[in-house]
Amino acid sequence: MTEAIQNVANPQIEVKDLNLWYGDKQALKNVSIQIPKNSVTAFIGPSGCGKSTFIRCLNRMNDLIKSCRIEGEVSIEGKDIYGPGVDVVDLRKQVGMVFQKPNPFPMSIYDNIAYGPRIHGVNKKDLEGVVEHALRSAALWDEISDRIRSPAFSLSGGQQQRLCIARTMAVKPEIILFDEPCSALDPISTAKIEELIMNLKKDYTIVIVTHNMQQAARISDHTAFFLMGELIEFGKTRQIFENPGEKSTEDYITGRFG
Amino acid sequence: MVRETYLQQLALLKESVLSLGELAEKILHDSMESVINLDLELARETLDLEPKADRLEYKIEVTINDLIALQQPLAGDLRLVVSALKISADLRRIVGLSINIAKIPGKIEGGHLKPLVDTRRMGDIAEEMLANSLKAFETRDPDLAKGTAALDDDVDKLFYSVWVELIEMMAKDPSIVSKATHLLFLIRYLERIADHCCNVCESVVYLSTAERIKLN
Ligand SMILES: Nc1ncnc2c1ncn2[C@@H]1O[C@H](COP(=O)(O)OP(=O)(O)O)[C@@H](O)[C@H]1O
Ligand SMILES: [Mg+2]
Repeated sequence: MTEAIQNVANPQIEVKDLNLWYGDKQALKNVSIQIPKNSVTAFIGPSGCGKSTFIRCLNRMNDLIKSCRIEGEVSIEGKDIYGPGVDVVDLRKQVGMVFQKPNPFPMSIYDNIAYGPRIHGVNKKDLEGVVEHALRSAALWDEISDRIRSPAFSLSGGQQQRLCIARTMAVKPEIILFDEPCSALDPISTAKIEELIMNLKKDYTIVIVTHNMQQAARISDHTAFFLMGELIEFGKTRQIFENPGEKSTEDYITGRFG
Repeated sequence: MVRETYLQQLALLKESVLSLGELAEKILHDSMESVINLDLELARETLDLEPKADRLEYKIEVTINDLIALQQPLAGDLRLVVSALKISADLRRIVGLSINIAKIPGKIEGGHLKPLVDTRRMGDIAEEMLANSLKAFETRDPDLAKGTAALDDDVDKLFYSVWVELIEMMAKDPSIVSKATHLLFLIRYLERIADHCCNVCESVVYLSTAERIKLN
């Protein structure tokens, strides 16, 4: 990696020599990267290059896939998340995730948000405050405060996605992973989510997979480019989009392949 | 190859900038010939070329607008678009200054005050700078750009020595003030043209390396 960042200041997530196989097909090859705290890091690359696979390693979502085998180290705040004695439920509370398709639970808006905090033992009298706070943080409160008992499915796609973000925030994670959170949304909803993500980095570390180059350029501080399971280049977003070090990065972001 | 139209638009942009550059070279060269030989016919032909520069500048601007609005260029492509916009503005200024030069023969009656030896040298260096900065743009050559910009010092030195010489001549013989003033303007235009060539060179360095530097 030319001119790329090897060590970032204040890394929250550190990945060292990560290799991952689905059966005998290797999907991640020797990936090492440090992701800084309270910033937005974007992952870009052609479909199938391993972006989703990679971010799923950060909260052990790949554990749910039978054929999947992992080697290497992933630590968060210095703690190896694949080490012995790690509670995966706590880990996923610490590292929340928002998916491509909004996936609200088939219940009211209120209960969607209250669900996690209830499981994690928040008392009933505090719950309303938690729900309101989460909806405000997700910039949804003003639009729906008068109907939080309505079914979540009555919301528009963009609102559903912000509900899912609110739901993720309600359990107070430190890190939020977004896997193409806007690819099912219209431009206005996309703009709202982008604005939201840029505001969230004050309080959270954000990792986002996106196919939208302009989106990565707009909202992220650092950008990582993956190709066929390898991390080709990682650097300041401005540099990646103005003057990437690797030809394959340039070819990809300028649409010459991919 | 994906994005065929896009790549064609980028190629067209580069070509148009080079065409404007070629036109600027011709206008600068002919305006200098016309002023040195007081060739009114050549001066008039040169003045007639200005609208062609306007059309090229307009075409470049429209191409850049389309590229930004429709294609959102990034990385080296973005740098090409940004530098093409700046370079075309500099080239258009070079054309404008050269047109000013081509207007001088019509204002000078009788012959020149003196043989225009140093002034012609200034013109030759300015022409060389323009040719090399365009070549550096075409080949994305930052070293050629830097070397070209370094010639600006020679132009500046000549400017000051001719300037001092003309001022002294005017002090001695006020009857030549009108003719000498045209020559002062002439060297001033040439000095400015060399500065615009330096700007082109700076844009070429940015285009090639993403570095933003000041050359002189
Ligand atoms: N659950 C899975 N089982 C087997 N192979 C998978 C699974 N998920 C992803 N893959 C394969 O791993 C590679 C990387 O996929 P993925 O991480 O989804 O890429 P991206 O998110 O960059 O599009 C692809 O070749 C894909 O087919
Ligand atoms: Mg994916």
